[in-house]
Amino acid sequence: MHIPDGYISPTTVITTYAVALPLWIYGLKKLKEKLNEETLPLIGALSAMSFIIMMFNIPIPGGTSGHAVGAALIAILFGPWVGFISVSLVLLIQAVVFGDGGVSAYALNALSMALTGSFSAYFVFKMIKNKKLAPFLAGWVAIVSSSFVVALALGIQPLFWTHNGQPLYFPFDLKTTMVALVGSHMLFFGIVEGIFTKLIYDYLQGKNREFSYEK
Amino acid sequence: MKNKLYTVLIILTVAVPLGLLSENPAWGEWEENYYQKILGFIPNGIKNAHTIASPIPDYSINGMSDVASYYLSALLGLVLVYGIFYILVKIIAKKQDSHGSA
Repeated sequence: MHIPDGYISPTTVITTYAVALPLWIYGLKKLKEKLNEETLPLIGALSAMSFIIMMFNIPIPGGTSGHAVGAALIAILFGPWVGFISVSLVLLIQAVVFGDGGVSAYALNALSMALTGSFSAYFVFKMIKNKKLAPFLAGWVAIVSSSFVVALALGIQPLFWTHNGQPLYFPFDLKTTMVALVGSHMLFFGIVEGIFTKLIYDYLQGKNREFSYEK
Repeated sequence: MKNKLYTVLIILTVAVPLGLLSENPAWGEWEENYYQKILGFIPNGIKNAHTIASPIPDYSINGMSDVASYYLSALLGLVLVYGIFYILVKIIAKKQDSHGSA
């Protein structure tokens, strides 16, 4: 889901940065309220975990691959703003240091994987908190919603930006991106994200109920 | 909670070369010749994309084996993520200090 440079039009780049910028500023403020000497190792470890699990590329039928993101776990433990900023930081390092995701597409990648993932996980988890499957569903919904945003952003490119009938940026239409991206995340990577979120959440929780740092 | 998180993190980091098993690209993240093959052309924006050169593109370091570069990339990622949060904590603490004494 890491969109590279050249896949989205300059208008999309500017729009996504304009939307993301105030959210980053506000999110950083919210992070500051939670980040201290005590929570640093926890938020640091969870964010590092997000970086690492994104390196586990899982092949699926059809010749493509994907990975979990880890935003859901941070969001249900520390709240959606911390999830958003932490995963944004991970995506920034990936884009700048490893060329994974374009710098021009960074805002879009943050809006999809970090923002949408964190907030959808947080609300799903809040709604069904007492159910055993809550962390799984939070993870599943998080990554599927993220893939929806990516599919939308990519799928509208050939609709708006063409030259002599040829698409200038990402060439495949909405129907294709929805089926390929959202479909594969519903069937495969959503399950992976769900299992990851539930396994780690349950392990951290142990016998101790109500251990969330989210208040 | 801290120790449990570190345990998971260490296990995942040790296992990170498993992520190299798949040769498949992510959907939508193909090489340029994929578009040439499927569409008969490479979309202009993709062909002429302005990309800022990254120090370790695709988590692979020149002259190093895939596994070694993947491990090094993972460690570098960990250090950067932690380092940035650590600096943030220091900045926040300093600000609070100066507020307190003022």
